[in-house]
Amino acid sequence: MPSSLSKTTNLPCIAIYATHYPNCKILPMKTNLLYAKRKIAIKSLISLGLTFLLMSVGYGQQTVTGIVKDKAEDLPLPGVSVYQKNSSNVAITDMEGVFSIQVNSNESELVFSFIGFETQTVAVGDRSIINITLQLEETILEQVVVVGYGVQKKINLTGAVDQIGGEQLINRPVANVMQGLQGASPGLNITYSGGRPGTVPDINIRGFTSINGGGPLIVIDGVAGAYEDLLRLNPADIESFSVLRDAASAAIYGARAAFGVVLITTKTGGETQTISYNSNFTWGRPTVLPVPVTDPYIYSRVMDQATSNTPWNYINFNDAHYQWAKERSENPAIEDVRIDPNDPNRWAYMGNNNWYNYFLNPSSFSTNQSLAISGSASVNDLPINYYISGDYTRENGMNKLVPDFWDRYSLRARVSASPQKWLKIDNNLNLYQTEREEPVTNITDIYFLTPIEVAENPDGTWANTDAGRLAARLNDGGGNRENMFGFHNIIRGTGTLLNGDLTVTGNASFKREQWNYGWERTKFDIGFGPNDIRTEGGDGMVAERNGSLQNTILDLYGNYSKTFGIHNFSLLAGYNQESYTFSSVEAERRVLISSSLPYLGLTTGDQFITPGYSTYATRSVFGRANYTINNKYILEFNGRYDGSSRFPSSNRWGFFPSISGAWIISDESFFPGTSTDLAPTLKLRSSYGSLGNQNVANFGYIQALPTGLSGNLFNGDRQVVITSAPPLAVDPNFYTWERVVTTNFGVDLGLWEDKFFGSFDYFIRNTKDMLTNPVELPGVLGTSPPQQNAADLQTKGWEVSLSYRTQFATGNQPIQFSSKFFVSDSRSFITRFENEQGLFSNYRVGQEIGEIWGLTNDGYFENEDQISQLDQSAIIPWGALDIVPGWPRYVDLDDDAKIERGFNENDPRDLSIIGNSRPRYQLGSNIDLSWNGFDFSLFLQGVGRQDYYPRHYLFWGPYQQPYANIYPWNLDFYRGQADSEALRAMHSQSYINAGLADANLNPTYPVLQSWLADNNYGAGLDIPQTQYLLNAAYVRIKNLSIGYTLPLEIARKIKATRIRIFVTGENLYEFSAIKKFVDPESVNNGFGWSYPFQRRYSGGINIDL
Amino acid sequence: MKKTFLYIASILILSACNDDFMDRYPQTSIAPEEFFKTEEDLALYINGLISLPGMGQYQADQSSDNMATTGAIEIKNIMTGAPSSQTITGGWNWGRLRNINYFLDNLSNTNASPEALNHFAGIARFYRAQFYMDMVKRYSDVPWYDQLLSPTDEELYKPRDPRALVMEKVMEDLDFASTHVREDVPTGSPGNWAVKTFYARTALYEGTFRRYHDELALQQSAGAFLSKARDISQDIISSGKFSIYMTGQPQSDYHSLFSSQNLIGNPEVILVNPFDINKDRNSNINGTVFGTYEQSPSRDLVQTYLMRDGSRFTDKPSFETLQYVDEFQNRDPRMTQTLVFPGWVRVPDPAPYVPLMNRNFTGYYQRKGYNNTTDNIAIGSLDVPVYRYAEVLLTFAEAKAELNELTQADLDISVNLLRARAGMPSLGLNQANASPDGYLMGKYPQVSGPNAGVLLEIRRERRVEFAMEGYRHDDLMRWAAGTLLERIPEGMYFPGLGKYDLTGDGHEDIILINKDSAIPTDPQKERNELGTLLVYYRAGTVNDNVTVYLRNGANGGTLVTETTPRQFIDPKYYYRPIPIQQVILNSKLQQIFGWE
Repeated sequence: MPSSLSKTTNLPCIAIYATHYPNCKILPMKTNLLYAKRKIAIKSLISLGLTFLLMSVGYGQQTVTGIVKDKAEDLPLPGVSVYQKNSSNVAITDMEGVFSIQVNSNESELVFSFIGFETQTVAVGDRSIINITLQLEETILEQVVVVGYGVQKKINLTGAVDQIGGEQLINRPVANVMQGLQGASPGLNITYSGGRPGTVPDINIRGFTSINGGGPLIVIDGVAGAYEDLLRLNPADIESFSVLRDAASAAIYGARAAFGVVLITTKTGGETQTISYNSNFTWGRPTVLPVPVTDPYIYSRVMDQATSNTPWNYINFNDAHYQWAKERSENPAIEDVRIDPNDPNRWAYMGNNNWYNYFLNPSSFSTNQSLAISGSASVNDLPINYYISGDYTRENGMNKLVPDFWDRYSLRARVSASPQKWLKIDNNLNLYQTEREEPVTNITDIYFLTPIEVAENPDGTWANTDAGRLAARLNDGGGNRENMFGFHNIIRGTGTLLNGDLTVTGNASFKREQWNYGWERTKFDIGFGPNDIRTEGGDGMVAERNGSLQNTILDLYGNYSKTFGIHNFSLLAGYNQESYTFSSVEAERRVLISSSLPYLGLTTGDQFITPGYSTYATRSVFGRANYTINNKYILEFNGRYDGSSRFPSSNRWGFFPSISGAWIISDESFFPGTSTDLAPTLKLRSSYGSLGNQNVANFGYIQALPTGLSGNLFNGDRQVVITSAPPLAVDPNFYTWERVVTTNFGVDLGLWEDKFFGSFDYFIRNTKDMLTNPVELPGVLGTSPPQQNAADLQTKGWEVSLSYRTQFATGNQPIQFSSKFFVSDSRSFITRFENEQGLFSNYRVGQEIGEIWGLTNDGYFENEDQISQLDQSAIIPWGALDIVPGWPRYVDLDDDAKIERGFNENDPRDLSIIGNSRPRYQLGSNIDLSWNGFDFSLFLQGVGRQDYYPRHYLFWGPYQQPYANIYPWNLDFYRGQADSEALRAMHSQSYINAGLADANLNPTYPVLQSWLADNNYGAGLDIPQTQYLLNAAYVRIKNLSIGYTLPLEIARKIKATRIRIFVTGENLYEFSAIKKFVDPESVNNGFGWSYPFQRRYSGGINIDL
Repeated sequence: MKKTFLYIASILILSACNDDFMDRYPQTSIAPEEFFKTEEDLALYINGLISLPGMGQYQADQSSDNMATTGAIEIKNIMTGAPSSQTITGGWNWGRLRNINYFLDNLSNTNASPEALNHFAGIARFYRAQFYMDMVKRYSDVPWYDQLLSPTDEELYKPRDPRALVMEKVMEDLDFASTHVREDVPTGSPGNWAVKTFYARTALYEGTFRRYHDELALQQSAGAFLSKARDISQDIISSGKFSIYMTGQPQSDYHSLFSSQNLIGNPEVILVNPFDINKDRNSNINGTVFGTYEQSPSRDLVQTYLMRDGSRFTDKPSFETLQYVDEFQNRDPRMTQTLVFPGWVRVPDPAPYVPLMNRNFTGYYQRKGYNNTTDNIAIGSLDVPVYRYAEVLLTFAEAKAELNELTQADLDISVNLLRARAGMPSLGLNQANASPDGYLMGKYPQVSGPNAGVLLEIRRERRVEFAMEGYRHDDLMRWAAGTLLERIPEGMYFPGLGKYDLTGDGHEDIILINKDSAIPTDPQKERNELGTLLVYYRAGTVNDNVTVYLRNGANGGTLVTETTPRQFIDPKYYYRPIPIQQVILNSKLQQIFGWE
């Protein structure tokens, strides 16, 4: 029974079951979070099972008393819940551990349950006194954690490591594991800049890593992988994640792991056969989108004004336009397409459209179905375990008119066998296929569409507008596809020798992927006028790109461990090599025979072939030595000698060592309180390590003449040409590894037998010798200067992680509660950079990453007199707009009666640091509750502090350029005087009601000049300033789930051991100031110009047989 | 056991240091050591350097008096704003020079005939000359570099070289190129005659620039450049390889140069930039060249065209108040081939086009560069004439006139060939010099001497022949006529409110009503005799809430496109400041001509 429970709920193997599981030790443990769930499951199942058994038993009242003690310490345990199965009889032990409870009959069973201890169930029988001893559950620190090339007990860890269980993902409507990991572990920052299906996010550990970027290494089942691999994992297959944050933990992975490691372990087969089926159905709609003004009159008049206030009076609507706009504003039933009164052969348009409604899907359907079968057999007492799973996932995007999805089909077959007692073979095969289909245009093109456009003409043709063209392109203009089929097989042999002291592991990983991209462009028709339908889009084209990926990784390593009295030694040594090649050929041909037959073979025009090729190789030896005295003092060395093809042979190899130690103070005899209720555990950790970063271009040091297809036609054709002189990429003589040196201090504190558990880590990470353009050179050089390893960066930060779990006795069904909260922070400063002049155009020593230099707002110019007193001409966009009353005025910090931007920090003129764009205080929080078969979980994720200076259309609307939308907040702009009566008579009521005909001398936004915030020029409002700096901090309800596990007797009717139904929501709500404008996560791509994020509502079922 | 592993591992590592496993090379780019081996390599590189003007030239006159524009044109911003090295930051881009000099530095290693080496070096030096010519046009004095710079070169920090030196080098490059570049080159790329065309153009530019710009104090050397322009253009003419494209259709031959899908082989086109939408070379600019996007032809250009009989339009007593339909009567046939004219029909409309009035636009529309069809293949596959033989002829005539060497025979083999194609009477040397056009004299007061009359006519011819082809701005600069840009372009003339025929069929098409009147709904609108609804516009002055801005409001006048005053500071605005960032990086780069 216990083992089947363990399997059906995908539980970790824990101490109580260890006797049933000889291979238990290699399985990872879960964090405290999962404890609660496991206990819920056990309890509910036990209770339900017993209920079932006890159904036919008669009743009789009797009192049972007794004392509950701690088995190890032989001390009374207060606060233990004691309850009778299937009844409301309940009691709690007192300070002496004494309880007294009424039971219905001698057939009753009593359940003794206390957090941190194993629950016991006892049949009452004839006894009236029952004394019980409860055994300690394995505490958090006793958990086994997956680390590089092995596992360790958490108590023995010396580095900064966090482990998360796979269950966190199963019930969430996430399409891949990365979505589920966002906000799941302290210091692990997963940042999405949009909601496109199948997107790989930005992943970093501990904040800003290097000016050249760089994220953690992903290791899946002991083998290094790519971020894209995370898309291909079935979330239900995940046993656990480990996040290695500091250098000492990551050092064993050497140059790939400069910025930490995420280790992912997939499930293996257990002893008992189980079949698990997980299913969910999800409906998504966009989260926060900036909704523009749709009133045609307000739009037209305001946009017209915006350009009239500039030298480039681009928008000039005529009177007939305004008249129509007014009519439509006041009566939307009036037609929105007419024959152009000025041109009887053309359509004219007057829409009032919110294009999100037309182009975006309000309930896009996604689903995940996964099935896993696992179990074991035994041959000559040697076990064979198997785990076979398959999943289908569809993640649908937001495009309503055309297919826009990402699908995954995966199949995993993992078989472990022991042909000999000392030998274990594990073969882990993953087959996967992903398919993506999306339209030819980017969904973000809809941000450009203006409300007064119309998409369809009365005769059914696509309108002669951007909206019409977008719709035409989407519907008729072709599509993009991306199909990938791959397999990844890891075969591993582990030999256990010398009575178990030595294990030798050989590992071979083969990954092969076939990529196929296809896209076609077909012509489409646009209706210019009633009898004027024109074809656009050329004669069409088709392209196909086929690529094949080969990635082979070999590992050989040995672990030797020996204990002499209180001394324990453990040694690891190994060898690793990796080879990676991706080569592709793209074939393209023009002129389709027919738009309805967009196939490469059915084209008649020019053809082009474009190759692509990337490759690298690494070789390494590595080792680890761990020395533990009396399980209290732990010292560990790691070292790795790495070679990478990305460096010239003269500088190819690097050695990267680390040292770390831990002291379990609470095991010292002088440590107070160990025998009290507090039962504290306290551990100090410290580590220091230096790692290389090989995250540079594959052929960065090789000077090369780039080739490409010419833009011009020679003898009638485009031809392959050299596109430029070789860039001065890097000087191979000075090219070497970027080094990342991390110092880490950590404290772990457990209280009340780890019911409360806290971890604190502080780190200093020096990223040294970053590859950069060391110095800005005069433009006459004609190219960027060669890069050198010439910059240093220092990041300091901390992480706090707190968890608490308990149970409340309420009747016979206690509430199980567990929670986890963490927050992490880091700040990065440039510590070396050759920029003697301190130019803003490059990094500078002392510069904090993300700092925003800006002007200090000082209201508006009220009159010409004020304008003449302060010369702001240097910040006029394009040098051409007029400074007029209502223009933003700035504080003249350097008192020279001029507002200027300095070009270097020694002379910043009127600039000062006004904020920082890096996210600070990244936080995550889980709360799980369960009671009587119900479970509830809430998951929050957020950023505590971040500044965002808005740029571009999505905030500034017409201030950017007059080619897109106006947002409601833009309407609060400066108006020096009210409109004349004659003009008012022309206005629509909506315009009057919005106050737009009135003066507005106390506005939020300045005088309405297009190009004032033009991002293409970088003056005016595009210069960051205090007034419009936004607070981008947010807390998001990332997930809220409510589930109910059916009583066992019902489940049994269909021979199931567990049936759980659930509803869940993803991205349900956000606490945020910036959501008034854009989705708080969309600021990550700079302009908020992101593929819409989705709010997802999902329901599903988990069935275990 | 462990030792064994370490042992095995170290063997592997040691062997790894030298084996192929760890050496990986790219397959889609070429190591320089493997390149510059054969003549094919040189062609591969030189083809990558090509840079030809495309359809953009049909919009380039926005920076001249040929067009009104609502666009953010640099010279307009300068004249209306407060320009400085902080706000004028474009143009200081040296990447192309690096690509050229890299080629020239490496070329000599190639195993090719001296003739081939000289040919390819010639093309590269031609490109370098073009590059520097653009730099000189913006900055006058610029640092000259004829070798690849390395990041440690002191030369990076050198001051500007004087214009005289830089132009001497440019002329050396062009001389070399015109001597060595082959005639037979791939179509779409410059050969010997294209090089010579540019050579002549450059010589004429620099010669006239020096002559008319006192601030350079280089007048003495103007003659040498003008002689060069004369000789090179004479050389091209004498070759007999080119001729003015004429099929005897004066109403369409000229226009067909700008609406052809295939100009290769056209006797007038010395260099073609071919476009083909099915080869990713799309020439479609219909949406920006026609309509109310940014640009509209100016009335000043309209008035420049002669009458069909060769007489001057501006000599007509009432020319300033002629209305649209009348203005287009009996004019130089190139006018209707350049501009939309009354009665012009826009495909696929059944009826003639009624010009759309819009604030800030002139009411005139551009035909040149607009492809009047709905066939998206034809629109996207229009070839661009980069160098026309017509330019050589006008260079020849202008250089000769500036040198005071011009004869009637010279005119007959140059200007008069262009006039003949358009069906215009010939330009007579004596006649022109006997009565210089006072109207043009007012525009170009610096023109003097015995050839003043014919020089003015040659300038007219240039403006007319090359209208909307991007020549005008440079011409104004070299003629030191920048102040002409101060005049804000105007549009059509309307004598007042009322109904007007804009298609030339005698029936009214539009009606201008008072600024305070309401535009009636369709059923209430007036129709003309043909039953077509009139198009209503309210007309007034600039500050009125109307669509048609007239100089005198309801009392008529020309269409006003803009009112922001323009000031052309002479000589400062003939040049541009070096961007401030560059001056900070190299303090030896001094600003000149009053820029800061």
